[in-house]
Amino acid sequence: MISPLLKEFGFAATAITLGMPFASFVVITLFTRAHPRLSAGLSISAVSISMLSALSLLFRLWPLEKPLEYSTLWYGGHDFSLFFGFLLDPSSLLMFSLVAVICLLVQVYSLGYMEGDPGFSRYYAFQSLFAWAMLSLAVSTSLLQLYIFWEVVGLCSYLLIGFWYERFSATQAGKKAFVMTRLGDASFFVGVLLLLVHLGDLSIMELNDASTAARLSPGFLTLCVLLVFGGIIGKSAQFPLMTWLPDAMEGPTPVSALLHSATMVAAGVFLFVRLFPFFSRSETAMTVCLTVGTISMLMASTMAMVDRDIKKVWAYSTISQLGYMVMGLAAGSSFAGYFHLTTHALFKALLFLCSGVWIHYFETNDMYEIARKNGRSLKTPLVCTVLAAASLSGLPPLAGFFSKETILASLLDRPDPIWFAAALLGVFMTAYYAFRPVFIILFPRNLDPQDEEHRGGAPYLAMALPLLVLAGLTLGIGWFERSLESFLGMAPPGEHAWLTPVSVSVAFLGVFLTWFEFGRRTAPQMGFVERIRPLKTFFLRRWFLDDLYAFLLKQVVYRLLARSFTQNDQRVIDGGIEGIARLAVGSGRICSYIQSGLLRLNLMVMLLVVVLMGLYFFLL
Amino acid sequence: MNPTLSDFPFLSAIMLSCILGLVAILVIPGRQKGLIRWVSAFSSGLSLILGIFLFAAYDRTQGGLQFVEKIVWMKSLGIHYFNAVDGFNLPLLLLTGIVHFTGVLTMWELEERVKEFFALYFVLVTGVFGFFMSMDLFFLFVWYDVSLFPMYPLIVIWGSTRKEYGAMKLFLYLLAGSALILPAMIYLFVQSGGVGFDLFGMMQPGTFSPFQQKFAFLFLYLGFGILAGVWPFHTWSPSGHVAAPTSVSMLHAGVLMKLGAFGVLRVAIFLCPEGWQYWAPWMAVLATIGIVYGVLVGLTQTDLKYVVAYSSVSHMGIVGLGLATVTAQGLTGAVYQMFAHGIMTALLFSSVGYLHDKTDTKSIPELGGMSRIMPVASAYFIVGAFAGMGVPGFANFWAELTVILSAFKVYPVSGVAAVSALVISALFMLRVVQKTFYGEKNQRFAGLPDVSPALGFPRMVLIATLVLFGFFPSLMLDVIQPSVFAFMEGLPK
Amino acid sequence: MIVPFSHVFILAAAVFFIGLACVLARRNLIMILIGIEIMMNAAAIAFVGGALHWGRLDGQAFVLFILGVAATEVAVGLALVVAAHRVTGSVDPDRYNLLRR
Repeated sequence: MISPLLKEFGFAATAITLGMPFASFVVITLFTRAHPRLSAGLSISAVSISMLSALSLLFRLWPLEKPLEYSTLWYGGHDFSLFFGFLLDPSSLLMFSLVAVICLLVQVYSLGYMEGDPGFSRYYAFQSLFAWAMLSLAVSTSLLQLYIFWEVVGLCSYLLIGFWYERFSATQAGKKAFVMTRLGDASFFVGVLLLLVHLGDLSIMELNDASTAARLSPGFLTLCVLLVFGGIIGKSAQFPLMTWLPDAMEGPTPVSALLHSATMVAAGVFLFVRLFPFFSRSETAMTVCLTVGTISMLMASTMAMVDRDIKKVWAYSTISQLGYMVMGLAAGSSFAGYFHLTTHALFKALLFLCSGVWIHYFETNDMYEIARKNGRSLKTPLVCTVLAAASLSGLPPLAGFFSKETILASLLDRPDPIWFAAALLGVFMTAYYAFRPVFIILFPRNLDPQDEEHRGGAPYLAMALPLLVLAGLTLGIGWFERSLESFLGMAPPGEHAWLTPVSVSVAFLGVFLTWFEFGRRTAPQMGFVERIRPLKTFFLRRWFLDDLYAFLLKQVVYRLLARSFTQNDQRVIDGGIEGIARLAVGSGRICSYIQSGLLRLNLMVMLLVVVLMGLYFFLL
Repeated sequence: MNPTLSDFPFLSAIMLSCILGLVAILVIPGRQKGLIRWVSAFSSGLSLILGIFLFAAYDRTQGGLQFVEKIVWMKSLGIHYFNAVDGFNLPLLLLTGIVHFTGVLTMWELEERVKEFFALYFVLVTGVFGFFMSMDLFFLFVWYDVSLFPMYPLIVIWGSTRKEYGAMKLFLYLLAGSALILPAMIYLFVQSGGVGFDLFGMMQPGTFSPFQQKFAFLFLYLGFGILAGVWPFHTWSPSGHVAAPTSVSMLHAGVLMKLGAFGVLRVAIFLCPEGWQYWAPWMAVLATIGIVYGVLVGLTQTDLKYVVAYSSVSHMGIVGLGLATVTAQGLTGAVYQMFAHGIMTALLFSSVGYLHDKTDTKSIPELGGMSRIMPVASAYFIVGAFAGMGVPGFANFWAELTVILSAFKVYPVSGVAAVSALVISALFMLRVVQKTFYGEKNQRFAGLPDVSPALGFPRMVLIATLVLFGFFPSLMLDVIQPSVFAFMEGLPK
Repeated sequence: MIVPFSHVFILAAAVFFIGLACVLARRNLIMILIGIEIMMNAAAIAFVGGALHWGRLDGQAFVLFILGVAATEVAVGLALVVAAHRVTGSVDPDRYNLLRR
């Protein structure tokens, strides 16, 4: 039984965690815009307090037998009621702490990365806003509350991608990200509304309850699940709405690390975890999810194999890893998906922050350029990148190894082996593309010693510390698989004795191939895919998905709909109105001939009429 | 409720503050522009404070008509000076107060014919206040026309961009609307059999036969619908908004279009509920077309004010959809949307107005990179754009949510169309934001000043309102819902 | 009655037509006004004759009204003529066609 004291503590700690970043956002926007250092200080201290209280919440409530729920009626109508509040259960607590930790690390890192930027205060204001929204999303008690914060984090993503708004590509990317995720959100919104119409309540606990699903017909349930999954597709950049994420790399690197790899894009998967019992009631929908996850995972991996832009490679890799998470969840193991979400958040943030150091120092995103300018001379990011890439490839004993193992095991639990085969192919490609940048930077060709001197010169410590913390977590978190499992109370996937050797050897095979092509002394540093020109173009152009969307937008939305509607507005409606006006004016003009303005003529006519009337009356 | 407090005629006091302001402006010589501005600000501030007080003092648990003032005006015809507040008009009175006050402050830098401008402006606002608070059909119509006629001189004298065309079109459209409303009102009065013009006397069930209701509803809906920008009678609104000076656009899109929607609600729906139920599917069709149409046409516009105006067409479509659902939810959402859209569009127009005043252009291709030059002024527009896209945290989100939710129950197709219009509206607003405010610093306007804190104040008030009702939607909902439920209960099944 | 009743009416008719001819033929506003005055006087003559013939005083009372109306009409009319002359520089009513484009 939960004591009232603990319940009060939970409420207070959650409120503090959420309140601090929001207060910092308000104060920075309204008062301290002109004082960048003060703004940064405010934001970082606010998020530190948040992190401390989130962690204390996690440890005080560990192990939690029964979820803590605090909710109040926020918006109620005749036949529906929307409750807002906090729902503290193991999965939300884990996300809560994870987000708070990564937010803090990224904000500290940004001190170095964003130093001297004219929009420094604005940056920290948006960071605070994001921290508030993302933390609130994690503890939302109802689906609509979650949707609201889901939209707000999308807004933060837009603002932060287009942070350098003077660059056209950045603003374009921000717009694309917002509109594409909005497309998914629209589907999510329709799903939420349908559920609300039919259930009258959107509490997550209620939704997951078996009796709730029983009130809906199976077909309707599938429809709702698929509509909500549409939101996940948008937010977590799954097929077919995946192309906004690589473009989102236009934002500052810490933003990519925080929003576009570790937390915000993972919100989609987090939603899946939240609604896992609800989702799993529809077998058809789960199969669709599994298919979408698999396609995204494979497609994004192929794209990552050819790109030269180091951030884009990690972005594709994020899509592909999110695909893994969706696969794990859709295969029926919420633990596999959630565990991978946790580890991925840590090592992917680490990868981004490391490449951020290079990008900051050498002012280029191109991995060959970084190598040429002697990128390997920066030891901390190099070591950390190797660690994180190994973790990404699933090499033991790093975090990624454990989580990927659970996903593969959950896929093996399915009767049809095709998903497992696809996942193994994915493991191979992941290892290949993860080590490609590593080997390119580690073994540079035609080193340019002049450029070695060229350095951005930033406080290295602020940037290095978060790297070390994340590296430590990446090394350590995998060993806590069992305790996490028991804390979350989710069933682990089955044991498969031969799984570990197979997957690890496939991963090593991938690493070996990369070494063969990029690492050894006489390696051409050109991948096997890059040799086949059409294939390279195909992958580089993202399977022509972007071209398809551009075509649809331009031809269908602009040309066909918008243009023809505008024409209708001007020609048909306004034209019709002007026609009526012209008719009135024209008939007036005709009548005006009668009114000659000649007084005598008028009198004459008058007299004539009088005479005629007299004749009529007297003579007839 | 303290009886002495509720006996004080707050509603007439609001009117009186406007009329006294008008008189004071007329008395002050036109040279003393500063004094005129201060008097206007003071008078509008007073009506805003009274409006806020009414909103706060309205008894939410009790609902129904409150702050009633009823005096016999013409006994032989049954005309009463009858003002009261219920859940339908209270949000709109508050809206008018806010937009009126912020509109006066927005025009602080006006130098040309200040006295005449504010005098006409106050006539307009007096009419609007009167229309919203009146419960007598005769007075409703009189106030309606009082609020229409100052539009023409306001646009023709202080406007821009094809102002004669815009003003003429607007005026003719609105008069056409009036011409439809007046015969319908007289028809209803004659058919009612001598109960007089009292709205609540006339809305007793059985006063009008179903046929009479269907017949009169059509006229009233079309007449008021023209003012509400119902598709396909919306084209006066973009050209009118574009031509009008800033605060008139604010009042126009923010409040005058609501006058139409509120007229549909208060006159057409109240008096002819059976006509309403009969015509509702057609209303939904027009509203749905309007929602999608507005954003799509907005996509191709190159003038900032046209863009905002077309977004208004789309948002007013949401109001229409709410009214068309014939559910309590839909009516609530429609009233909420009237309020939220009024504030949001006033914010957008006032931000565009500042840009226009300083740069002397509203053309999107000519602008660009304004964020570097006037970051605060740009931020106001961007915030307004987010509110317009239906981002949560602003009042518009809740209004749209409520309407679309009710639409899903009755017209699922319209609901889906409205949600997809939200996606297009994101594309549409962000495109404008990107092209106007983002990009390289625009050298042509490099030296222009950013908005001063004094001029920023009205915009801050608008944003604060949006955020307040966006965070605490039940503040508004509790006011609207009791009246809506009471009204829906009384409907014939 | 010395003068036969019919003669009074013939006189009134003659005066009326003289006035009418004046109004129709002249192109000077003042002359037109005078023509109108003449027509009014014709009516007055007819009223007086009628009053005498039927022995009732209504007709005479009407004549007083006609005199009053005529006086005011001349006053207003002349004022208008002066105003019109100021604006257009002419007393010819055919020139007053500002409203006609």
